[in-house]
This record gives sequence, C-alpha cells and structure tokens, in this order.
Amino acid sequence: MRRIGIALALALSVAGSGCVQTRQYADVQFTPPRGDYRLLVMRPDVNVNALTTGGVAQPRADWTEQARNNIIQALRAQQGDLGGKVLVLSRRNELTGISADEVADLERLHFAVAQSIALHKYSGESLPTKYGKGLDYTLGEDAVALGRRTGYDYALFVYAEDNIASTGRTALQVLGVAGCFIGFCAPSGGSNQFAYASLVDLRTGEVVWFNVLQTGSQLPGVTFGDIRNQQGAAQMVERLLGRMKAGREIRKAQAAAEKK
Amino acid sequence: MCVRCAMSRRSLLVGGGVAAASLATGVAGARILPRDMVPLIGPGFKPTDTDEIGLWGLMDRVEEEISGSNLLIKDPEIVSYLQEIIGRVGGPAAKDMRIYLAHVPDFNAMMFPSGFSVVFSGLLLRMRNEAQLAGVIAHESGHFLRRHMIRSWRDQKRKSDLFAIGAMVAGVAGAGAGVYLGDYVQLAQLATILSLFQYSRAMEAEADAMGARLISEAGYPPIEMANVWEQLIGEENASARYRRKRRERGSLFDTHPSPESRMADLRISAQEVTVPGKTYDNGRARYLKTIAPIRRMLLDDQVRLNDPGASQYLLNTLALDGWNGTLRYYEGEVWRLRNRAGDEARAAQSYAVAVAYPDAPPEAWRSHGLELIKQGRGGEGKAALSRYLQMKPAAPDAPFIRQMIS
Repeated sequence: MRRIGIALALALSVAGSGCVQTRQYADVQFTPPRGDYRLLVMRPDVNVNALTTGGVAQPRADWTEQARNNIIQALRAQQGDLGGKVLVLSRRNELTGISADEVADLERLHFAVAQSIALHKYSGESLPTKYGKGLDYTLGEDAVALGRRTGYDYALFVYAEDNIASTGRTALQVLGVAGCFIGFCAPSGGSNQFAYASLVDLRTGEVVWFNVLQTGSQLPGVTFGDIRNQQGAAQMVERLLGRMKAGREIRKAQAAAEKK
Repeated sequence: MCVRCAMSRRSLLVGGGVAAASLATGVAGARILPRDMVPLIGPGFKPTDTDEIGLWGLMDRVEEEISGSNLLIKDPEIVSYLQEIIGRVGGPAAKDMRIYLAHVPDFNAMMFPSGFSVVFSGLLLRMRNEAQLAGVIAHESGHFLRRHMIRSWRDQKRKSDLFAIGAMVAGVAGAGAGVYLGDYVQLAQLATILSLFQYSRAMEAEADAMGARLISEAGYPPIEMANVWEQLIGEENASARYRRKRRERGSLFDTHPSPESRMADLRISAQEVTVPGKTYDNGRARYLKTIAPIRRMLLDDQVRLNDPGASQYLLNTLALDGWNGTLRYYEGEVWRLRNRAGDEARAAQSYAVAVAYPDAPPEAWRSHGLELIKQGRGGEGKAALSRYLQMKPAAPDAPFIRQMIS
C-alpha cells in the first residue's frame, strides 16, 4: 500500500506538466464584443493526428474532417450565445464579392502576424518596443477593406490541433510510469491539444485579442477532451474563447469605477 | 523528395531525434538498375490506407497554398510546357501529376506525396535543353511512381516505434537488473538516424534510375541526366573557388547521394537504357524558344545572387551553345557587381561586345554608353545612351539619362 502511495505521488509529480493552459493577450483598449456585433469566422484550420508509439504525429483525414465540422458547429453555438451575428466560413469562396484569393491573402498575412505574436509574446523573445503595450499588432489596410466591403466588425482566426495517442503510445506511457516502481522513470507525452484564436477588429485592422490553448498529460489515458466528438469540440472552443478578458486600460477603468 | 535539398536533411535530423533502432534496412549500396524500376502505381491512383489518406489530406491543403502563392510564375505558355513534359515522362501517372513553377533562383525541384511537383525557376536557367529538364522532372515523377514518400514515412514511423520501445525496454530491464544501458540506447539512436538517411539516399538513387528509364522511353537522350550533374558539380566548384572555399563533401548525414556518384551511376544507367538505332531528340530549340520570354529575368535573378563564381560558370555553360548579346551583357554585370581591381575594365569590354550582337538588351546599350563616357569618349557614349532611350523610352531612369545626353 505504501509503495503504491509513493508511486502515485511520483506519478502525480510526473503529471505536473500535464494540464490545461491558456494565455491570452489583448489590446489595452479592448472590450470583448457583446450584443449587436457582426463577426466573421475565417475557415478554421483543424488538424487531428494519431500519435504513433515513437511519437510521430500521423495525420488522419477522417478525424480531421469530423473535428473541423465539430469545431465549426461549436463556434456557431458559442458565438450565438453572445448575441452577435456570426458567419463561420467553411470554404474560402463563401463571401459574396470577395474572391477566394483575397481571402487566402488575408489568411496568409494573418498567419505571418500570428507567427510574430507567437515568437514575441509566447516564446519569450519579447520586443522592447512592444513592452507594456498589451497586444500591438495589425493586419493593416487589407483587413479594413474586407470589413468595409462585407460589413463585418470582427474577423476571428482559429487554429486547432489534437494529437491522439495510439494504443502503442499509451502502452509506452504505462511502461514509462510503471518503471517508476523499479527506479526507471521515463514518462512520455500522450494525447495533447494545441489551439489558438485571434480576433481582428475589421474597423481598425488591429489584432485586438489573442489566446493560446495547450492541453496534455504524461499520465497514460488522461485526456482533456477530444475534438472528434461534439462535446470535446465545444469544450475546446469554450476554453479558447469563453473567458475573453478586456484590455488593461479598460479593466483599470472598470476597477476604478467599482471603487467609487 | 527533391532533387537536392538541405531542408529535408534538417527535418530528418530533427525527426531522427525521436527515432529508432535497427541497422538492417535491407538497402544495399549497389547501383539501382533502371530495368528493376517498375512503377508501383497505375493511372488515377488514389490512396486507400489510413496513413496515406491522412498524408494526402494534408497535402491537398499544402497544394491549395502553393497553387495560390504569389511566388509562382504563372506564364501560361511556360506552365503548360512543363505540364506537357511531365505528361510525357510521368509514366502511368502522367495525367495525374500537377506541376508549379516557383520564382526561386536556385537549382531545385520537388515532388509532394499527393503527386504535385514544384520546380524552381533557377532550374530553367541551368538546363541547356528540354531533355535535361525532362530528366529532372522524370526524377521527380519517379518519386511518385515508386511511392517514395509514403514508404519513407512508414520507414520513419517503424524505426521511431522500434527505438521508443527498445529504449523503454532497455531502461526498464536495465533498472530491474541494476545496470545502466543508456550508452547502448544512444548508440541505437545514432544507428537509427543513420539508417533513415540511408533509406533516403537509396530512394534518390531509385528516382534517378527510374528517371533515366522514363526519359529514354519518351525519346530524350538519357545521358542528359548525367550531364545535369556534371554541370552542377562544375558550378559548385566554381562558386567555392571564388569564395576560396572547398565544395561541401558528402557525409553520413546526407539525404542525397553525392553528385559525383549520381553522375557516375547515371552514366552507366544511360548506356543501359539507350536503345541502339533509336533516334533521340534533346529538344533544345523548343526549350530555348519556350523559355525565351523569361530568360532575361532568370539571368537577372542569378546575377543578383552575388555569387560570381557560379554565375560565371553558368554563363560559360550556356555560351557553349553560342554567345549572344544577352549572355555578354550579364557577363559584364557579374564583373561590375563583383567590383574587384580590374573588374570595371572587364565589364566595359563585355558590354562593348554585347552591343555588337543584334539581340543586345537595352540595358547593354546603357551600360556601354556610361562606360564610354567614363573613358572620355563622350560622343560615342551619348550615341549609345540615345540608342538605349530609343529601345526603352519608358525606362524608369529615362529622364535621368535624357538629362545626361542633352
């Protein structure tokens, strides 16, 4: 019993890195959209992979397709609750008067900007010029033009990835944790998720809010939702978009107002 | 799966970090025979296995991005010309493969798992005839026809699985028995990485052999594939010499066989697949005519890489088919941009020779004129500059030149 207790404690400490993490940044003047707003959700980029025993992510077309539909549905439901008018694009050519190429260009531009946000906001390579400015990135004129031509106030870009541990991978994890009993602790990662969402104000072109979600555990069998089913997709969308915080200046003003 | 690339080596090394044991890959170092290279897929191939379907699904999205990229050269005649060549040397998949031309001044071409190929514009500068270009495209087709991407993907998966299990068992068993097997695990990891590269090199050799067979069947002289490598070796040597360095030598971590061994193998393969009495056509005239509209752009790109050794070598190679005004002008540009002692005089000479040809580009007249003025031959110089303005009245620097000669 005591031995199992130690193993459990060990296993728990091993799983210390396993959890659900989100980290969001917002423009200092950002207020989460509520009520009467028009939101355009760009085609969500969804990938579901099977994690092989050796840890290689193997793309699965059927799972990806299923998950993409689930995420689109979950986005519709989640945004519908907020009272806005929402259009979720599932293809690039669904906007009247805007060609698929123009949509693709904006998506690529956003991808480059998102890479930059990932590098300078999340990977620790912070820029002195951006220090203390909240989120200070813009897609510029192209985004404003899209807003003007379509009448949408915001565009939301979503990326979601789910890596599902295969049976072999789970067995390897079990072995790694079981090894702890005899002094060879080699925990390895199992199922994990990575997602990000980026909200662009189409009236100014600025990226006003950005959030990154990561889930994962080194304990075999522990997962934090599976976007191949609707419940898991709804869970991911909620984690990603559910707790949208206002920007620093706005929160300060709110706190000051409350004090009075 | 590209003709030659450093990128895939890097990704293989990264992939190798998580990868596996077993030296027994069953791949020998012997030359792969063209006659053994039968296509493994038929027309209209569609994947049926889960892993391959997944890979194709991913590649469909990659193709969507590539086909819409603004890096592509979309000149309809050149694109349909490339499509025509892949249709001729694509074996059973000739009608299924797609080809894109990317504006990148580098020698490379690649095939993606779902059967689309990307050719760099730098390749079109280097090829001396249609047969050489067809050879490179046939090599890429070979990757698709021999199902190399899915085979190497599975190889990578299998080895990484084996390594992960092996390492875990060694660790657990070692801990149980009280011995540390970490050194062996590291050794196994190195072995795994090395075997991944070996597999990759074997596939390149297969694609070369398959390519030789395909172009020979399409009526191109198969020896041209070996000539491509001869030209590349020459270019790399010349480039290295100018920089006072030596060309990179092969190592265990190469994803591709060395150019020398590929050239040697291709020479023998070419002999094997050549049918005595059959007439082969290298399609040089057709090739030069088709790429003529973009040839100056290709030369411009190359010269601006500021790699005088390689640029000089390329110009001299292209000039084996005859010097002309365009080549002489760019020869001058290479000297001018290098700008070492005596280079200006060399450049001036090249421009002077260039304008003697009927096809001299307008810029040759401009450079020639400016050099003449510097030499104190103002009258002749102004005449040359007027000729430039006459040929290109809307040139961006036309007002400036006009002011010079007025």
